[in-house]
Amino acid sequence: MRKIKYTYMVGASLLTLFITQRAVAQDAAIKQTSPASIELLKAGSLWMNSTNGAGLVLDNLSYFSDIKFTYGIKDGDYKLNQEGEKERLFGVSSEGGLKLGKGYAWGGFAYSNEAQRGTLFNTAIIDPQRGMPYYPIDPNKSDWMKQTYDLSMKVATRPFWDKVILGAQADYMTKVGAKQIDPRSEVYYYRINVKPSAIVILGNHNIGVNFEYQNSIETSGTINSDGQVNQPVFVLRGLGNGYEATVGGLQSLGDFIYTGNKAGGALQYSYSVNNLKFLASGNYTYGVEDVISSPTKPKKEGAIVENVIEGKLVALKTGDNIHRLELSYRTENLDGIEYVQELDNTYEVQSWVVVYSSIRSNYKEQEMSFKYDFFRGADHDYNWRAGVSAQYKKNDDIYYMPESTEMIKNLFLGVNGKYNFSLCKNCNILIGANLVYKNNLDGEYNYGGAEPDSYIITDFMTPDFKYMKSSYTKIGGDISYFTKISKTGKAGMFIKAAVDYYKPSDRDDNRIQSSLSLGFTF
Amino acid sequence: MKNIIKIVFASIILVLGLAACQQFEDVATIDKVTPLESTVSLSLDLGNAPTPSQFNVKFTNYADRFELSKVISPNGSIVVDGLIPGIYTVTVSAEMAAEGFTYNYSGSLVNQKIVTDNSSLSINVQASKSGALVFKEVFYCGSRTPTGGSYFRDQFYEIYNNSENVVNVRGLAIALLNPNTATANLPVWPGDDAANFVYATAIWQVPDDKDYPVNPGESIIIAQMADDHKKSNLNPSSPVNLLSAEFETYVNTTSIISDNPAINMYMAFWPTKMPQWLTTVFGGVFVIYFPTEVINANNYVTPIGSATKCYKIPIVDVIDALELIGNPNQINLKRMPTTLDAGAATVGGTYLTKSVARKVKETKNGRVILYDTNNSTNDFEVMDVPTIRRYGAVAPSWNTWK
Repeated sequence: MRKIKYTYMVGASLLTLFITQRAVAQDAAIKQTSPASIELLKAGSLWMNSTNGAGLVLDNLSYFSDIKFTYGIKDGDYKLNQEGEKERLFGVSSEGGLKLGKGYAWGGFAYSNEAQRGTLFNTAIIDPQRGMPYYPIDPNKSDWMKQTYDLSMKVATRPFWDKVILGAQADYMTKVGAKQIDPRSEVYYYRINVKPSAIVILGNHNIGVNFEYQNSIETSGTINSDGQVNQPVFVLRGLGNGYEATVGGLQSLGDFIYTGNKAGGALQYSYSVNNLKFLASGNYTYGVEDVISSPTKPKKEGAIVENVIEGKLVALKTGDNIHRLELSYRTENLDGIEYVQELDNTYEVQSWVVVYSSIRSNYKEQEMSFKYDFFRGADHDYNWRAGVSAQYKKNDDIYYMPESTEMIKNLFLGVNGKYNFSLCKNCNILIGANLVYKNNLDGEYNYGGAEPDSYIITDFMTPDFKYMKSSYTKIGGDISYFTKISKTGKAGMFIKAAVDYYKPSDRDDNRIQSSLSLGFTF
Repeated sequence: MKNIIKIVFASIILVLGLAACQQFEDVATIDKVTPLESTVSLSLDLGNAPTPSQFNVKFTNYADRFELSKVISPNGSIVVDGLIPGIYTVTVSAEMAAEGFTYNYSGSLVNQKIVTDNSSLSINVQASKSGALVFKEVFYCGSRTPTGGSYFRDQFYEIYNNSENVVNVRGLAIALLNPNTATANLPVWPGDDAANFVYATAIWQVPDDKDYPVNPGESIIIAQMADDHKKSNLNPSSPVNLLSAEFETYVNTTSIISDNPAINMYMAFWPTKMPQWLTTVFGGVFVIYFPTEVINANNYVTPIGSATKCYKIPIVDVIDALELIGNPNQINLKRMPTTLDAGAATVGGTYLTKSVARKVKETKNGRVILYDTNNSTNDFEVMDVPTIRRYGAVAPSWNTWK
């Protein structure tokens, strides 16, 4: 298994590099790419960040590619319980795009190895923040070791009859993780997402459509290294409700298996006139994820039904400078289903039979965001850039019986800027700063379950709610040095350091995230 | 070749798509949960016992940790609303003092599905006089050695005379029932009258050689090994010295096990012998009873699909019963018929050096009377230090080695 993963990682890296080397050979007149030029390239594209891969051709992108090695650390107590007191991440990521005749292809690969020290309340799920309410937790402070592999691609054909472009977008991700203290677990996660797409060109008007299908599986098994001591766990069902179980001994908690499918689609419309471009898009996805335990005698732990609607408007003005405006709205409605089951104890059967199922909880999330970015100088690298952003986010969750509720409204306001200092003909320094203020507008958590004094509520749910409800100021900065490293080729190298400091308004703790990256562009 | 690739790709998409469709269809008709109502009525089978003025009805949904209690009159019915759909244990209980006796009234429905609105439940209620002999304290989970090892030879079972009459324990049997540990896979027993019995995997008896009278307020200790477990060659961390125990389940002498002063019990039924009578530290199910006929080990029965030899014990012969479970979550894996024990007790783990002990109800004329409502969840509490003859219980006079 490990051999396959390494082969996969090396293969993906070589593929990305191979593609980018080809790109250089194909178009020697193209200027050297730098991190700033890649930023600018993406900012000037409408379709690159959409769900329609066919749109890449309309963005008229040139080649670009980079590979980046990152070492990051996080430290500080201003965090969710399930985050590490200290976290260390080593990652490699690479992306590149090239023209294929009149078509375009883009590929990306990312690998990360993460060590989370001193996490709490997560026994057996690799990403407890992904919106799944059904998973076991335990009170033992533990480290988690995680690895992620992510391979993505987008491809667009040439326009057929100058009217129709076909495209596809795919993402394949695997994660593996292991909890390091009893009850310990080994978790495997896989997800594949494909989006076939098409665009019809009608003069300055383009109409796009894409479909989406996603399949995901997560499996986790729990064990104790000390077989003499059983470990109590609590299987969450949402908002602090759930049931007690034990890892170890007889009737030990079984393996958990999550199987998800999602389908959906999106419509896009773009219009361009002179140097003005607009893209309006709307997507809808519907997904179901089942959770079972003990696969040899499957018992349903629950299921979620997810409906997501998104709308986005991007306006772009190109020319000597670039103005980019984004307005977006997203709403997610997630129902948590639970089952009443009884064991058919007939000797020949002995399996769990569902006798009743109902929606026991609901989780709503609404987001509205505004983002404006200005890039001074749009030739190849920008001279400087500045941006403002605002985001409103509301979470409104309920567990119906016995009733528990959680509601949080937050407003995020941000400003950012970067300046590109040219130090020599082939080297420059990019210095950036950003400031985000999170203002909590409202928030309330009411637990109406059986045990309000249990550690689940007092040590886990309530502190996490207070964290999510708190207002904070984030001050961030980054500096990167870029230089050409080849006299004849286009290869460049950059070193980047970044720091983000989070300081809550009404607490004494804080959190620092910092990273150091070494990268190459081709 | 291109066509083959297209066909394979299309097939994969088709299979995944069909899987997704099935999953979507499964949840398409599921609605939001709504609270349910249920009507409860009683069927009284009290014999000569007096009828109390009211009964307590308790709905327990272990999966949701949800409980709801109501009061019902003997001949009436009540509508209970606000029930979360689920699997319930519904218990009816009452207690009444009359004619110098304490009567316990109990009835229950176990694993009762309540998933539709306006369901009707009829619960049969029976009466019994509080038993004379009761399990008073049981230390089953074992202890830790000073080096962190596991020690299980200090298990004991204390049986107490909770009545105001002398009881002769000559021939008294203690049985460990099948299955040994809490499980969802309950054995299926042969015969139409299978529900009238409990099924033992091991039975030990007080010798039938002479009388062993136990006065009110006295107790007898049945030890797995009636030794001083604090000895250096056993477990200095053990909480108990059992040299004063009345009985032990002695099998044979080993480097650890010796024949102690306690009277050796008679091994009446134990098809799977071991050097010692170790009952599960996860919590077994026990009954005490006086056999009405000689136990013949050859008259065993086996569950359907299993070769485990068990001995049938008529439920009507049982004097007291105690269900022990590994942790509170296993309450929904009950093995004992609820007519014998409607609940279960637990120390919550293994090798915790803790015991379960019956709670004190009252003290009458200096005699401690313990709770005995046939519901171990209510009657027992966890003791941090297992102790024999707690609450001033006295050893019988014939115990000269105490």
